[in-house]
Amino acid sequence: HASQVGTPKRNIQLSNIIEECSNGRRVSRLLELSPKQLEPLPIEEPKTPKRNSRLSSVGATLPSSASKGTPKSANKMKLIRDGTIKPNIHSRDAPVQDGANELAVARERLHVSATPSSLPCREKEYEEIYNFLEGKIFDGCGGCMYISGVPGTGKTATTTAVLRALKHLSEEEDIPKFEFVDINGMRLTEPRQAYVHIYRQLTGKTLAWEQAYNLLNKRFTTKAPRRITTVLLVDELDILCNKRQDVVYNLLNWPTMPTAQLIVVTIANTMDLPERLLMGKISSRLGLTRLTFQPYNFRQLQEIVMARLVGMSAFNSDAVQLVARKVAAVSGDARRALDICRRATELADDQARKSNESVTVSMIHVQQALTEMITSAKVKTIRSCSRLEQLFLQAVTAEVTRTGIEECNFLGVYSQFESLAAFSGIIVPNPGRAMAICARLAASRLLICECGKSDIYQKILLNISTDDVHFALQASKLL
Amino acid sequence: MHRRTRLSLRSSSINDKENEHEQAQLTASPRKRRSKVTDSGVKDAELPEEDGARSPKKVARKAGRPRVLPPAEEDVEELEDAAHGTGASDLVGKLPEREKEYDELVGFVEGVLSSDGSGSLYISGPPGTGKTATLQRILNHPSFAKKLKPVYINCTSIKSVGSIYKKISEELGLKVGGTTEKQYQGAIEAHLERKHKTIMLVLDEIDQLSSSKQTILYSIFEWPARPTARLILIGIANALDLTDRLLARLQARCELKPQLIQFLPYTKQQIVAILKASLEESNSLSRFPEAALGLLAAKVASTSGDIRRALFIARRLVESAKKEDRKTGSSGAPTVVSMGQVMAVLKQVYGASQTLGNDLEEGFPLQQKILICSLMLMLKHGKNKDITVGKLYDVYKAICTKRNIQAVDQTEFISLCTLVETRGIVRLQGKKEPRMHRVCLQWDEQEVTSALNDKQLIASILSDVSCLGK
Repeated sequence: HASQVGTPKRNIQLSNIIEECSNGRRVSRLLELSPKQLEPLPIEEPKTPKRNSRLSSVGATLPSSASKGTPKSANKMKLIRDGTIKPNIHSRDAPVQDGANELAVARERLHVSATPSSLPCREKEYEEIYNFLEGKIFDGCGGCMYISGVPGTGKTATTTAVLRALKHLSEEEDIPKFEFVDINGMRLTEPRQAYVHIYRQLTGKTLAWEQAYNLLNKRFTTKAPRRITTVLLVDELDILCNKRQDVVYNLLNWPTMPTAQLIVVTIANTMDLPERLLMGKISSRLGLTRLTFQPYNFRQLQEIVMARLVGMSAFNSDAVQLVARKVAAVSGDARRALDICRRATELADDQARKSNESVTVSMIHVQQALTEMITSAKVKTIRSCSRLEQLFLQAVTAEVTRTGIEECNFLGVYSQFESLAAFSGIIVPNPGRAMAICARLAASRLLICECGKSDIYQKILLNISTDDVHFALQASKLL
Repeated sequence: MHRRTRLSLRSSSINDKENEHEQAQLTASPRKRRSKVTDSGVKDAELPEEDGARSPKKVARKAGRPRVLPPAEEDVEELEDAAHGTGASDLVGKLPEREKEYDELVGFVEGVLSSDGSGSLYISGPPGTGKTATLQRILNHPSFAKKLKPVYINCTSIKSVGSIYKKISEELGLKVGGTTEKQYQGAIEAHLERKHKTIMLVLDEIDQLSSSKQTILYSIFEWPARPTARLILIGIANALDLTDRLLARLQARCELKPQLIQFLPYTKQQIVAILKASLEESNSLSRFPEAALGLLAAKVASTSGDIRRALFIARRLVESAKKEDRKTGSSGAPTVVSMGQVMAVLKQVYGASQTLGNDLEEGFPLQQKILICSLMLMLKHGKNKDITVGKLYDVYKAICTKRNIQAVDQTEFISLCTLVETRGIVRLQGKKEPRMHRVCLQWDEQEVTSALNDKQLIASILSDVSCLGK
């Protein structure tokens, strides 16, 4: 496509907009002009005369823009940057018809993305965040809050739920109006892009980060009597920490200004991130309002799953309890519990289709889903290795037990290999072959080999415990 | 409505100031700005000196200049009363407890001005000790405003180390021929050679300017030694020995060596005084009994001496007291902050691992408990204290098998380790292979025991030496 060939640099700067258009390659086709913004276009047209000649043909090929007499596509990037045209995705002609069976409905409801209207088991945290934000919005002052917790404990869901509730209240004019901006550290190519994203959400325009920073700084440091509070949600704070930490510094320094009326809510996984990663001056600004989300215990997980399945009989409650107990013992991650339940419904669905009768999800399905998810693929891999590979693995374990050091070199392993092979009556392959075997095992990550040096002195490490090897090979004749 | 703005902490105002100043310089043309500085400066002088960073705000409002500084009040309603009922007259223009440093700074600047030469200064101190706020007072000092051209730059706001020259020349309003770093530097140096008004260049967070060869820091600190230059250079940072460490070569020539001023952490008495002044201003002093203030100040002073913390905790307490008021209905005397509340907040803020134990009672997954217990077992009875994830996994698996618990897979185990790491109990260091990561326990045994809250399990695992193998 010519427009991309012409403006590769801009594509990079605007990475995010393009990302939002699903695949990025066909951006210009996916863009549609909203009708009211058509007026300013002719004015902007002459500003980029250079590209006009080259790209005008492209503009003509675009059906949506050509029919409305829209600008040449040289302007397209400019329009995107100004926020006059919004990216959107092709929609299906007709919605996908879903089998309206109960299991399918249950599956839909159990999807991680289907955030329920109220979050069970997070009432205390909800209350705390709500009080903090409401107080700050009422007072019209700024502040920071730090929320931490292991993945899948409902941090972002709770925070956005609070903000949704507040937004609703502010629309009904129960509380002062506020603006809401959110950035996610993982969605930025570089920490400084945070400025660009914040500015775009505030004004709709896309600028280079330096400009965006200056304008934001101006916005937050000068007094404006009619300014309304801005709530900034920073997800994955630890990604924004670069060496200089200037982005984090600025994001946390703005709220300390009275003119800014900025409330920053930061979310990260690590509990002691401010002390561990941030400089003293930054953690001093971050303040002490902290909230930790504990992992769910099995009762809570059960409640979460049951809340999603309320009014349905597709699930056996014992099955849910099994999932909850298994997950709570390991990580307390709600996403995981939901995924396992979904998988179990799929298995039940399969069975129902085969036997042509209605099936509820029971312990058997859950058990099957659990073994699928928490299964050790390594034992299987070892069992399906070729005979010589198994022998080689055994040689490595023998060498580890002999020397007592985890790290052994190829020479030692090979001599063990030789004796083991002789013992089981196999013709010993030459060292070159053995090295090939070793490389294959290293590629499947059963072994860790020192790369770069593949001579007889290379170091070999076992990436699995010796017990696993013994266990896997017990059945075979080798032991 | 916007008066509510001024609710923020005083600590915040300290920073605001710097940025606002910066902003003002960005927006206003130099001449305009100067006049504004003078304006506010004069007003500043008229005020009885009582309370520093705060005062300029109202002054500023009166003077109608964009650079404003809010007082740090803690109480909404009372604050509003104050805001409506008073003018600038009751506002005060000094930082409590930073008078000595302020006088020293004024003395330094006056000395340089009277000798008609240059001087450099380095200010150090931990975060939240009022460095920037004091500097702002100097920049707004009335008698300096006419003789000086103030340039304030916060070094975190620049793009890269080299672009500091561009920023400085923009602030000075210089015309530069090109756009390279060298040309900007040349322009500044040419400006220093011409006849010019004394420049007061304040570089906040100067440690951001350090680079591998420190060329930029050296060249900036060398400017005051130029024969024709009339420059007062002030650097601000946290490190006590930044000039000695980074700029060792300045020691060789006495005229280049910057003078040092230290801002020590606030002591208990100082924090009490500042809190009192700040509470007085918002008329909520009555909410705070003397003993509670003392307790709060003693705790903050003993740990960091950071005034932001003290103000933060005070604010939080006043807010909760206000909430109590709202609940019970506003009639009657305002709720007083009790010692118990102060203790509770302090405990929450400073006792990280103890409070963790309470939260964790039921929230700690069993497998993670076993992981930590096996680590403790290895540390206590194992021969080798250098524990990798792989070794830990072997012991963990032995323990699980013995207890008839299904052990997790190794990949799962590695993610378990990272989950425990997010709590700060262990730390993984190391090489790229996850199996070879070193596991270090970050808490001592007692803390872990109280956090896990499962003495039986711990005791049984810790006595189980046979699981160590070999």
